[in-house]
Amino acid sequence: MTAIKCIDLCKNFQQGDVVIKALNHVSLDIEEGSFICLSGPSGSGKTTLLNAIGGLDKLDSGEVYFNGRRVDQLGKGPMADLRLHYIGFVFQAYNLIPVLTAQENVEFVMQVQGVSVKERRRKSSAILEEVGLKGMENRRPSQLSGGQQQRVAVARAIVSQPKLVLADEPTANLDSETAAQLMDLLRELNQHHNVTFLIATHDERVMRYAQRLIRMQDGKIIADELQEAD
Amino acid sequence: MILSLRLAWRNLWRHKRRTWLTALAMIFSNVLLIFMISLQFGSYDMMINNTLRAFSGEIQVQHEGYQQNPKLRSSIPAIIPLALELRSILPDAHIAARAAAFALVSSEQRSLGIQIVGVQPEYEPMVSTLPGMVREGRFLQDSNAAEIVIGRVLARNLKVSVGDELTLLGSGRDGSFAAGVVSITGVFDSGSSDLDRTLAEVPLGYFQDTFAMRDHGNAIVVAVDDLSAVPSALVAVQKEIRGKKGLTVLDWTQLQPGLKQAIQADMSSAWFMYGLLIILVAFSVLNTQLMSVLERTREFGVITALGIKPRKLASLVMLETALMALIGLVIGVAIGWMIASYLNIAGFHYPGMEEMAEKFNLPDRVYPSVTFFSMILGPGIVFLFSLLAGVYPSLRLFRLQPVEAMRAV
Amino acid sequence: MKSLPVSAMLRLAWRNLWRNYRRTVVMLLAIAVGVWAMIFMSALMRGMVDEMVTNGIDSLPGYVQIHQLGFRDDPSINNSLQPPGPELLGALENPLVAGWTSRVRVPAMISSERDNRGVTLLGVDPAGEIAVGFDLDNIVAGRFIGSPQDKGLVVGRKLLERLETHLGKRVVVMSQDPDNNIADRGFRIVGVYKASLEGQEENFVYSGRSHVQSLLKMGRQVSEIAITGHDYRAVDELLEIIRAASPPGSEVLPWMELESYLYGMMGMMDGFILVWTIVVFLALSFGLINTLMMAVFERVREIGLMQALGMKPSSILYLILMESLLLLLLGLLAGNILAIASILPLREGIDLSGVARGMEMFGAGSTLYPVLDLHDLATANTVVIVLGLVTSLLPAWHASRYSPVEAITKI
Repeated sequence: MTAIKCIDLCKNFQQGDVVIKALNHVSLDIEEGSFICLSGPSGSGKTTLLNAIGGLDKLDSGEVYFNGRRVDQLGKGPMADLRLHYIGFVFQAYNLIPVLTAQENVEFVMQVQGVSVKERRRKSSAILEEVGLKGMENRRPSQLSGGQQQRVAVARAIVSQPKLVLADEPTANLDSETAAQLMDLLRELNQHHNVTFLIATHDERVMRYAQRLIRMQDGKIIADELQEAD
Repeated sequence: MILSLRLAWRNLWRHKRRTWLTALAMIFSNVLLIFMISLQFGSYDMMINNTLRAFSGEIQVQHEGYQQNPKLRSSIPAIIPLALELRSILPDAHIAARAAAFALVSSEQRSLGIQIVGVQPEYEPMVSTLPGMVREGRFLQDSNAAEIVIGRVLARNLKVSVGDELTLLGSGRDGSFAAGVVSITGVFDSGSSDLDRTLAEVPLGYFQDTFAMRDHGNAIVVAVDDLSAVPSALVAVQKEIRGKKGLTVLDWTQLQPGLKQAIQADMSSAWFMYGLLIILVAFSVLNTQLMSVLERTREFGVITALGIKPRKLASLVMLETALMALIGLVIGVAIGWMIASYLNIAGFHYPGMEEMAEKFNLPDRVYPSVTFFSMILGPGIVFLFSLLAGVYPSLRLFRLQPVEAMRAV
Repeated sequence: MKSLPVSAMLRLAWRNLWRNYRRTVVMLLAIAVGVWAMIFMSALMRGMVDEMVTNGIDSLPGYVQIHQLGFRDDPSINNSLQPPGPELLGALENPLVAGWTSRVRVPAMISSERDNRGVTLLGVDPAGEIAVGFDLDNIVAGRFIGSPQDKGLVVGRKLLERLETHLGKRVVVMSQDPDNNIADRGFRIVGVYKASLEGQEENFVYSGRSHVQSLLKMGRQVSEIAITGHDYRAVDELLEIIRAASPPGSEVLPWMELESYLYGMMGMMDGFILVWTIVVFLALSFGLINTLMMAVFERVREIGLMQALGMKPSSILYLILMESLLLLLLGLLAGNILAIASILPLREGIDLSGVARGMEMFGAGSTLYPVLDLHDLATANTVVIVLGLVTSLLPAWHASRYSPVEAITKI
C-alpha cells in the first residue's frame, strides 16, 4: 500500500546570483512499512525532499499525498497537527529540548497530543528501555553522549506510532560503532512496529541497511532500486 | 585605535535589534530627562522671577531681626539718604526704600486689616512689577500726598473704586495712635489673589508722617537684572553698610526661604525620578553587554589564544558600550532639544496648572529653559552610568580561560 | 486544537527562564527596582496630597459648607445666614453627615501692646468644632473655647509670637458690625493651638460664637455652616442632601470648589502617579523586549524542533508569553515586597523640616507620611502585567513566525 505519493516536486533556492534547483521534478511513491535510504552528495536535494514531505518547507510546485490526502497546501496549524500525529523526525543534531530530561523529551509529543500522564509514563519508559536507555530517563541532554541523544530522539520519533519517520543524517555525528548500533535499532523498530522510515544519508555504511535505495543528484532521482538488506 | 573603533562598531551591529533596543532605552530616557529638566529649570526661573520681581526684589537691607519679625520699630534711620548712597555704588541696580505696617482700613461699608507699604513713587516701579499692574487709575506720584493704591480683590471686598476715600487706623512707631484718610488713585491686578487681597501702597513720605516714622523706613529693596548679579551686588551693599549699626543685608534665599525650599523639595523628588530612570537604563546596558560578552566566549577564546591580552578585549567591550551610549546621547539630545525648543516658543500646559499658577503667581504656561546645561545634564549622566554598567561585563574577560572558552558553544 | 497542557508549558517556561540566570537576574532586578519606585513614589505623592487636602480641609474645615450667596466674593458680616432651620437640621441627621457646626467668620484686626495683625475671627460652638475635626491635642497651652458664650480667645502659636504676647494677656480685636461701625473689644488669650501650617496659626483666632455675635450685633446669624462626611474624596451624595435642604439664598459648595487649588493638585497627582508608573514601565520595557528577544534568538533551533514535532505557532507564542509572565510575576513580587518593606518603617513620617517653608508653599506640612494606597498598588501591578505582556507579544510573535526549516538549519 502506498503511504506517501510525491508528484513532480520542484523547489529552487536563490544563492547570490545563482538559482539552485534543489528539487527538479521529483516524483516518488513510498510503500507503508518500507525502510528507505535517500543517498547522494551534499546539496543533492535530500534534505529538501525530507522537509517537503514533512511539511517543514513550502514547495514551488508539485503535490504531496499522505494516505491519499493532499497535504502540501495545508496551513501552518493543520500541518503541525499532521506532523504531530503521523510523522516523526530525527535530525542530525540538536534533536532534544535542552531543559527537558530524556523521558520528558520522549513524552513531549504525547503531551501535545493530550495523552494521559499514566499512559505517557508507561509508553515512554517502555520505548526508552527498547532503545537501551533504561536508567537514564532523568538525565538532561547535556548529560548524555551523542549516541544516547540520538537514541532519545529515535524513541521520541516512534513513541506515538507515527506512519512515517523522517531521519536526516541521523548518524553524521556518531562514530562508526555507535552509528551501526543506531541503524540496527532503526531497522528493528521498522520491523517491530511496522513504521515507515525515510533516511537521508551520504554514509555508505547506513545505505547497507536499506531495503530500497534512492540516489539523488542535482535535485533529481538518478537511481531507485530495491536491495537485499544485510 | 582606528582599527579597534571599526571593530567595535561592527561588533555593535552584529545584533542590530538588540543594539537598537538598548540605544532606544537611552534615547527614551534622554528625551524624557531633557524634557523634565528643561521644564523644571524653566518653571524655577519663572517662580523666582515672578516672586522676586513682584515685590521682594533680590536683595534687601533691613534692620536686624526684621525678616523674622517684621515690626515697624525695627527700622532704618535716614533711609532715603542711605538708598541714595547705595544707588551711587550700584549704578546698574534699581533701588527703592520702603516702610510697612499693619493697619485697619475702612471704607464706607467695610473694614479690613491689611498691610500698608510706604513706597517711593519715583523708584518703586523699577523694583516691583505691582505699579505696572495698575489697571484702573494711576500709580502714586507725589511722595507726600494722601493717596493709596490697592489690589483688585481688596477693592472688591471694601466695595470701593478709584476716587473713593479710605480711613487708615493703626499704631505708629512710637506706639501712638496712627490714623489718616487717603484717596484711592489706582487699583492693581497682579494675578496673585494673596497680594491683591492683602496689600496696599501709599507714598513713603505720607507713611512716615502718619506712622510717626520721622526719616525712618523698614527696607531698602535692591533689584538686579539677573540672579547671577546677586552675589557681587550683595558684597557691595554689605561693604557699604558695614559701619551702620543694627543693619543687615539679605539675599532672595533669605527673603523668600519658602521659594528656595520649595525648589529644593521639588528638586529632590525630581532627582529621585531621574535617578531611577538612569538606573533602569544602566540595567538595560548591563544586560546587553553581558549577553554580548557571554555569547562571544568562543570567539574571545580564539582571540586570546592568538595572544591578545584580556585588557585589549576589555577595552574593546568598553569601546562598544561607549559607542552605543554615544548613539543614545546624540539622538536623544537631538530629539529632546527639538521638543524643548518647540515648547520654549509654544509653552507647555498641563491639567491642574491653572490652580498651581494662581497659587504660585505664575503664568499658566511654562516655557522650558533651553540651555546647554539643561540639555546635557541628564543625557550626560545617562552616558556615564551606561559606561559604568559596561564595566562588569568587561571585567569578566580577565577571567577568560582560552581552552575552556574555545570549547564553549 | 491540541496543544501542550498549561502545566507542561509552565514547567518548560520556568526552566527556560533559568537557562541564562545572569540575564534573568539582571532583568528581575530591573523590574523589582522599577516596581518599587512606582509604588514608593506613589506612596509619597499620595501622602503629600492627603496631607495637603487634610490641611486644607482643616483650615476650612468641613467637606461641604453653606454660605449666604455672595459671601465668597465679600466675606463680610453682611453676608450671613440664619442658623439651620428644621428642614436643614433634619438633613444633618443623615448618617452621611459625620459632624457639623455653624460659625461666625469675619476678617478682623488683632492688636497687642507690641504689634497688630490682620486675622480671621471665628466665633465657634466648641462641641460642633470638635465634631467637624478640631483636635484638642493641638491645644499646646491653656484650653480651647469652652462654650458658645466663652469670652476667651484661642490663638495660634505663630500669631502669639508675632504679637509678642502671652497666654493670659489681653489683646484687642477690631472688626466691623453690620452698619460698618468699628466694633472693638478686649479679649483674654485663654489658649494656644498649633497647626501643621504656619499660615493657619497666623490667620485663625477662635472665640465663643454667641460672644462674637453680640460683639458684632448680628443676633443669631452665622457666616457659615460646615459639614463633614466620612470620605473627603466622595462628597457628591452628601452635597446633594445638604443642597436639597438648604434655605433659598444660600450657596452650598463642596471643598473642591472652595479650595480649587487643592482639588486641582489632587487631580494632578492622580494623573502624575499614572504617568510616572507608565514612564517607569516604558523605561523597563526596552530591557524586557531585549531579554526576551535574546532568549528567542538563542533558542531558534529548539523552536524549530518543537514546530517539527507538531507544536503549533500559537503554542510557541504562549510559551514565550508564559516565560515573560513568570519573569514579570517574580519581579513584581520582589518589587512589592521591597516597596512595602521600605514604606512601613516610614509610617511615622519623613522629617522635611529642612524645607518646611517650601512644603508650606505647596500647602503641605513639614512631616511627610507615605500612604500605601491599595489602589496605587493595584495600578502599578496591573500596568506591569498588562503592558508587560503586550510588550512581550513582539518577541513572542517573532518566535512563532520562524519557519521550522529556517530555524533548524540556523547554526
